Order: sequence, then structure tokens, then C-alpha cells
Amino acid sequence: MKNEEIAHWAVAQSQKQGAELAEAFLLRDKSFSVRVRQGKVESIEQAEERGLGIRVLVGERMGFAYTSFLAKGPVEKTVSQAIANAAKTAADKNNALPASPARIPELVLYDPKIVATPVEEKIRVAKAVEEAAFAADPRVIKTEHASYGDTVYEVSIVNSRGVDVNYRGSFCGGSVWVVARENGDTQTGSGMDYVLDFADLKPEVIGQEASQEAVAMLGAKKVSSQRVPLVMPPRVATQFLGVLAPALSAEAVQKGRSLLAGKLGEMVASPRVTLIDDGTLPRGINSSPVDGEGVPSGRTVLIEGGQLQTYLYNTYTASKDGTDSTGNASRPSYRGTPEIGPSNLYLEAGDCNQGELLKDIAQGFYLLEVLGMHTANPISGDFSVGAAGIWIEKGELAYPVRGVAVAGNILDLFRGVEALGNDLRFYLGYGSPSIRFGPMAVSGE
Amino acid sequence: MEVVFLFTVGELQEILAVALQEGGDFADVFTEEKVSNSVVCEDDLIERVNSGLEAGVGIRVLSGQSTAYVYTNDLNLSAVKKAAHVASKAASDKVKGTTVVDLCRQKPRTVFEILRQPEDVPIDEKVEAVIKGNRSARALDERIAQVMVSYGDVVQRIQVANSMGDLVEDERVRTRFVVHVVAQEGSLIQTGYEAIGGLTGFELVRGDEPERLAEIAARQALLMLGAKPAPSGRMPVVMAAEAGGTMVHEACGHGLEADLVQKDLSVYTGKLKERVAAEIVTIIDDGTLPNKYGSFSFDDEGTPSGRNVLIKDGILTSYMYDRLSARQDGHPLTGNGRRQSFAHRPIPRMTNTYIAPGNTDPGEIIAQTKKGLLVKKMGGGQVNPTTGDFVFDVSEAYLIENGRITIPVRGATLTGNGPEALREIELVGSDLGFAIGTCGKEGQGVPVSDAQPTILIKQLIVGGTGQ
Repeated sequence: MKNEEIAHWAVAQSQKQGAELAEAFLLRDKSFSVRVRQGKVESIEQAEERGLGIRVLVGERMGFAYTSFLAKGPVEKTVSQAIANAAKTAADKNNALPASPARIPELVLYDPKIVATPVEEKIRVAKAVEEAAFAADPRVIKTEHASYGDTVYEVSIVNSRGVDVNYRGSFCGGSVWVVARENGDTQTGSGMDYVLDFADLKPEVIGQEASQEAVAMLGAKKVSSQRVPLVMPPRVATQFLGVLAPALSAEAVQKGRSLLAGKLGEMVASPRVTLIDDGTLPRGINSSPVDGEGVPSGRTVLIEGGQLQTYLYNTYTASKDGTDSTGNASRPSYRGTPEIGPSNLYLEAGDCNQGELLKDIAQGFYLLEVLGMHTANPISGDFSVGAAGIWIEKGELAYPVRGVAVAGNILDLFRGVEALGNDLRFYLGYGSPSIRFGPMAVSGE
Repeated sequence: MEVVFLFTVGELQEILAVALQEGGDFADVFTEEKVSNSVVCEDDLIERVNSGLEAGVGIRVLSGQSTAYVYTNDLNLSAVKKAAHVASKAASDKVKGTTVVDLCRQKPRTVFEILRQPEDVPIDEKVEAVIKGNRSARALDERIAQVMVSYGDVVQRIQVANSMGDLVEDERVRTRFVVHVVAQEGSLIQTGYEAIGGLTGFELVRGDEPERLAEIAARQALLMLGAKPAPSGRMPVVMAAEAGGTMVHEACGHGLEADLVQKDLSVYTGKLKERVAAEIVTIIDDGTLPNKYGSFSFDDEGTPSGRNVLIKDGILTSYMYDRLSARQDGHPLTGNGRRQSFAHRPIPRMTNTYIAPGNTDPGEIIAQTKKGLLVKKMGGGQVNPTTGDFVFDVSEAYLIENGRITIPVRGATLTGNGPEALREIELVGSDLGFAIGTCGKEGQGVPVSDAQPTILIKQLIVGGTGQ
């Protein structure tokens, strides 16, 4: 059976077995990756994977089960399991499946070049990343590896209320991790980029950026503990956006685990901050016509001029708040139920160049790398991370610093935004320009 | 849901032969079937009861130091042979003629006792355990704003066959129980967390274990409401045994994984038989420990799990190897070749990693510390293995003043450098405490546990916001 047929059959089977409402989510993907090191191929991986998740509503109870076996027998058993699971969950009147959408945005997500490009050419891309890293500076002596990878996927979502969506997409990317050495000091740097179109991948840029970062850190010192303004390039700033993102989920708000709960209409960030989630962003890596339960993707302004406008919703949380889903049911795998997540979440750019961002900073810290970002607490907003970067003196980048920690609260950080760069850039699903923040605690000697 | 398949010896032999048809000097086939169940309670409701069944196969062909890896979850023999052919064609060495040795089933050296197979436990009992945890945390205090309790079990059946004639079949049963608590007072929100897990069955949560764990998480969240900001700067740090072993995992473990060492990307490269830690420090990685979260009978390449002394009395004695890195060093296999699933190729990973207990009384360690930070509970961490710089998150800590524990302080990251921190361990306690985690490397997560006795480190940088 084809994808859509399996999905339709699973929904029909669920209703036959007693589910009032049913949904089938089918994902099929193919991926390729190659890693090279010092000019030689270290590994090649090719993969094909598929699977089906079935969500049923029996009365007001929801059950879920998944399988990677797409034949009738196992799918029938998975349906029975989902229905049996529903009997054990709590009845909740907000459990619902979306109706068939009136209009679905048309997006170009699939680049046939990714499939058509021969393996040899893809290996050349990985090698080009590494060569660019070495060419950028003679102090770059080795790489951990340089890589190229791509994925093509097909999603089918069918539910008993008429949702019947099938779409495909693809993406590709490259990355490298380099080591620079000088006078017995060793430093590392990394570069990566993921894009929808093969033609947009720039191996030279990935390699150069990694080398620049490693070389910039050579001869790093430690500093004493102090409070100073922070400046972050887009790559580091997007990691901090990743800590703020969970607080924007309506589920977190409804369950009392968001620091933005009860703050609609309030100033939650500097007036310079406008934060947007856009699942329809052209060439956005997380763009899709519909979200993980078949609701059309949209553009949602979350924070405008520092003021909190709305949260991110899926169908369940929207029903609970008596509003509409924003199309943010995230579903990276067939193994889980749709949760809430941003699509392409980005901070709008300002108009400063780097010189203007650093201007007037007597002492400050320009962050190039953070360690342990995943240990930040998205519920309290408290973060404390290891950091490395360049010390700022009298408005200029002065000398590299490592082995320090930067700590604070994510809301205080974004309330303190003093200037925004004109260099908006995306790293996977998060985008940000360079940002100058007010003083934060830097712990050192 | 029941077992659907594993390959026969004859089929495996055929697949391996196809994998080596076009080149390569070694091939293996990893087949996996995984049945998972989970129950989640949040907002005082059973929100989710989920189940899954998945299976897949990964075929690897090695030629020298180069790897070709192909995986699929289409398990028809013809599809798997096609995948083996793709792997064979991708192998960079086109020298043909490697033959497949007749497969011989290996017996496990370490066997783990599973008292209650999760598949035999009625779902109602799993739901009940979660409800007990939820009730206990909520009953503790009005300031408990949210409780999330989750139970999960996974039964993973694996089969590994390689061209050298090894055939291994194993069943791994892992169970875990996790409690998250949010406490709120005015606009202040703090959290608490407790988790246990093991290579064990439903007996993990027997008796009043759910209540006990929930209470620990809830008490931590409440305590943090009244805690002061953590200090900032360099100071002595006492790490209690119950804090778990994230520090040893980051400061030392990752840097002793042979792939990083061989690429000269580890700060511990070339340091074998050299002093890398204080003399009182012995560090062991042991995949054979009874029922721990990082334990197994065979690793994901079919090698029996082992007990490997990494650092003995401060001297570096061994790295951790998978097959590829062991081939390069001509080193015996250590049982550290692990992978997240069939969709990942094996790489050197830790299992259960710990600092061996010493002989100082834990209370004495605190008494000897004039001024410092007592770490009672650690969260996650990260290391840059090349520079040795590491961080780990502290979720519960206290100040030590004049040898006495005084006030609780809020979470902060502690940062240091691996070799420096190991040399600066000044006292090692006689106790030992474990914590579980999912260790991430190259995008693959595997279950591990880490442990340590109470230890005193001369100085680490505490990344707080206070004085």
C-alpha cells in the first residue's frame, strides 16, 4: 500500500474498532551522510525509515500507539493498543482533532537536486568544507571531521474529520569541527549550516567560520568575576532563544510551568525586541504547509516591541483557552503525540553593524561559545553556562577569554537588550541578529 | 504486542556475504526490536498512555578505518540484502575476498535478574505507580504548583552477527521513573527533579518507591524557593555522593573514549601510564554492575560488557574502545561499542562510570572545609574534550562555612578543566552514590549511570549571580 492508503486504512480500522475520532500520522524518510577527515572518507551512511503513529479518541479519552511495521496485521494491532491505552487516560473535554482546513499554504520544500546529486559530488562538498577550514588559517591543524548530510521525507496526516494532507520536503547541510594550535595552546571551533536547496549550501563559508572561531580563541586567558555587558553573534544568541522558546508554549502556560504565564499584554522584553514564529517562512528549515496534526502553518507575532502578544497553540491547548491553534503542534517523529513547539522562531533584525554594537562598551564580553546550554532551566528561566569568547575593551575586541561562566535569568537578559545587529541569521529553526545585552554576571577567578 | 521477528542463522550468513561482496574487510549486522510503554501524569490527570513497537536493521562494512553504514526498517530479507549490497558498494576498499566465518552463538558472561517483566505487568499497575507519585508530591505543600510524573519501560531485543563468526542475541529490559515538580511563591518559580532507572523490570518502583522519589523532588523545589543566589567565583567544592557522577563523566569520561584520543582531539591523548589525577583517585567504567542503567550483557557490537579501570591511583591505565578504534590500536575490545538504535553506527561510549570510594568519612570532609560550596545534586553537563573545559549543572547546593553546612543556594553551573580538577581532588569519601542520565554524543543518546563518593575539590569556578 502507498502511504496515504495505509493512513486511510488505519483511520477506518480505528473507527471500526470503536474509536469516535482517529488520526494517522505517517512519516517516511531517506537520508544520506558522509564524513571526511584529513581528506579521506571516514564514513558513509544511508538510511530509509518509516513509521506510523495512531491517535484515537474514545469518548473524551485519548490513546496513542506507534509501529514501524506498515502491513495490515501490525497496524491493526497498533490500533487495538491505542484504543486500549485510551481506556486508561483521563477524560478531558478539550481532547479534540482538527477539522479539514479551508486553505493550506503552498510552499516549495522539496529540492529534486538533493536526490539527483551523485554521491561523489556530495563527498566533494564535505571535502570542500574541510579544505576551506584548512585554507582559512595555517594554525588550523586538524579537523574532528567535516560532513555533508541530507534528508528527503514524506508526511501523511489523515483524520476522521476530513484532514487528508500529504507533503514532501528535503534539506541538506554541512558541518565541521576544527582544532587550531599555536605556542602549545589548543582551541576548537565549529561551523554548520542547513538549507532547503542544495544550491544554497556554501561549504567554504562553513569551513571559514569554524577556523575563524578556533583561531580567535588562541591564547585565551581567564578574567575575574564581574558584571559586564554581553554581545552575542547570531549563533550564540539563537541558543538563548532556545531557552526562551518553551515559555511561549500555551501548554507550559496552562500548566504553570512558564515564566510568561499571566503576562499577556505586558512588557516582557526590551522595546527593541520583536519575536516572530513563522511556519511559512520561505526557505525556512522548519517550514511546512501544516503542523503535526494537520492545522495550516502560520505566522505568529509573539512579542512586539517588547510586549507579549500571544502564545503558541496546538488544537488541545487552543480548545482549553477558547482560541484557535496557531499551527504549532510539533511532531518530529511518528513515535510521539503532537506537542507544542516553535517552527522558525526569530528575533527581528535591527540596523547596527558590529562596530556600532561594540561602541561605548568600556569592558564587555563577546560570546563565541557556550557550554551546557541544555542545563538552563526553561521553567524558572535561570541559566548559568560555561562560556568562551573575546573580551571587549573600549569598544573593541581585545583578547580571548575562556573557562568562565555567565549566569542570569532569561527574562532579565531580554529585558536588557540594548541594540540589535543588521545580520539576522538562522541556525536550524532559530534566527537572530547579533545582540548587545546589558550587564550580566560573569564568574571567573 | 509480541515479538515479530529476528533473523535465522542462515539468513544472517547470507546478509553478511552480500555485505562483503564488493569489498571491505569486516561486516556486521545489528538487528533490533523495541517495545516501549509509557505513562505520564501531569496537571493531576493521566494525560498519556503510549505504546510502541519498532524494529530495524543496520549493516556496517569496515575497510581499514573507513565505515559504510546502511540501515532500514523494512525487514523483508530481500530489502535487507539490498541494504547490505548498498553498504558493500559504499565500502571504500574494493579488495574482495573477505569471507564470512560460520556463525557461532556466544553465551553471556554477565546475566541480569529481571524480577517482573514489564510486558507481564498490567497497565493498571503502571498507572497506579504514577498516581502514587503525583499524590505524594502534591500533598506535601500548597506551594507545589505542578507535578509531572512519568513511568517508562523498554524491552529491546537485539541480534548482532559479524563476519568473524560471532553471533549474539540478547534482551535488555530498562525501566525508569521520573518526577518533575514546580513550586511557586508569588512570582518566583523553582523546580525539583528526581529520577531512577535501571536495567531492571517493574520491581524498580515496588513498594513506596514512587512516593519516596516524588517527595525528594518536591522538597527540592520547595527548598529552592527560599534559597539565595549561588555565589560567583573560584572556591573549594565538596560534592556529596548523592549528587551523582556528572562531574567525572564530563571531566574525565568523554576524554578517555578512544575515538577522540586517536584523533588527537582529547586532552588525555598520549597520557597513558602518566599521572593525570591525584593519587587518591581511581576511576572505573563497569558495564557489568548489577541492574544499573548503563549495564548490559553485550555491547551493541556483540562484545561482552566489561569492568575497565581507566585511572588507577592517579595513573591513566586504559581508554574505552569500540571495535573500530580497538582495531587501530591493536587493543582488546573493552565492551564500550554502543549505539542509540539500529539507526546509528556504534561509537565508543561510557556505561556506568565512577570514582572508586576512598577511606575518608564523608562527614569529616565537610568538617575539614572552611569555606566552600556543597553540591547535593547535579544535573546535566558538557565538555569540550579537546581543551578539557567542562561544565556541570548543580540543582541543589549549600554554603559550607567553618566546616558546617549553612544556607541553601540556587542552581548554578560549575566550570573547570578536566585534568586540573582531577589533580585537585583532595579528599575521597568512603561512600558511593549513583545517578542516571542519557548521555549524548554525535547526536546519539544512550542510557548511562555515573557515581562518586563524597569528594573535595580544591577549587572550581561557581557561575552564580550572588556574592
